Amino acid sequence: MRSLIRYANPRSTLLPSFGFPTPVPWTGLENDIDHWFNATLSDFLSPAFENRFPVDLYEDQENTYVRADLPGVDRKEINVEMVNGYLTISATRKSTGPDGESFALSRSVAIPEGVHTDKVSAAYENGVLTVTLPKQEEAKPRKITVEVK
Amino acid sequence: MSRLQNLVPSFARRSAASDATATVRPWYEIKETPEAWGLTVYLPGVGKDGLEITAEEGVITVRGRRQWKAPAGWTSLYRESPEAAYELAFTHDNTIDVEKIHAELVDGVLRASLPKAEALKPRKIAVS
Repeated sequence: MRSLIRYANPRSTLLPSFGFPTPVPWTGLENDIDHWFNATLSDFLSPAFENRFPVDLYEDQENTYVRADLPGVDRKEINVEMVNGYLTISATRKSTGPDGESFALSRSVAIPEGVHTDKVSAAYENGVLTVTLPKQEEAKPRKITVEVK
Repeated sequence: MSRLQNLVPSFARRSAASDATATVRPWYEIKETPEAWGLTVYLPGVGKDGLEITAEEGVITVRGRRQWKAPAGWTSLYRESPEAAYELAFTHDNTIDVEKIHAELVDGVLRASLPKAEALKPRKIAVS
């Protein structure tokens, strides 16, 4: 970790006429820290990891929805599987270059119980896959009126 | 106040939370051929209407907004995808023929060809 802490010579131009006897030693350090943060965080914030893609999970009363960012993947190369309460989305992305490399992408998400596994459907639009998992009757919220005597 | 900001730079900073125009840099690739630069930008969730490419004063900027909004009644259980708009900017030294930029957006991937200006293309000069 020693290489991270680099002493930056304070830029004296920041304080031209203030009459401060010596340049403030922490000038520029903040920019360095920002830079480290940005360099580190940009990996996490960037929408396409090497073979891990961002996944969102939503639900409403009828369905559970999984949305996955899969830009530029052929629809035929997307596989959606439900096994033991896990939804697995796998895909292959082919690079367009002459070398034609392909990358395998895969992601598994735990799905709340009570899904109609045989009624799962998926749609792909603008590079985002939406998987709709209908809830079984028992899993749907139900309104029960209780008579108070 | 500006002197104080010079002394303590954090006074001049805007906090990230209050910054409504925060953007994410999308994943991208650039390839070079003798005639052009090929730019591939991954913009999942961005449709043609949400995409904007501008070329001015030596800067090419790609901006994309996600158009999808969770319908009413959807509760988000878990989120990973960024909600911020995508923004990617490149400076170039006017070696790109801006008039001939060609771009297409398919399935959330923008592929743009940025042709090199005539003067920059390699040329063979016959020696007589």
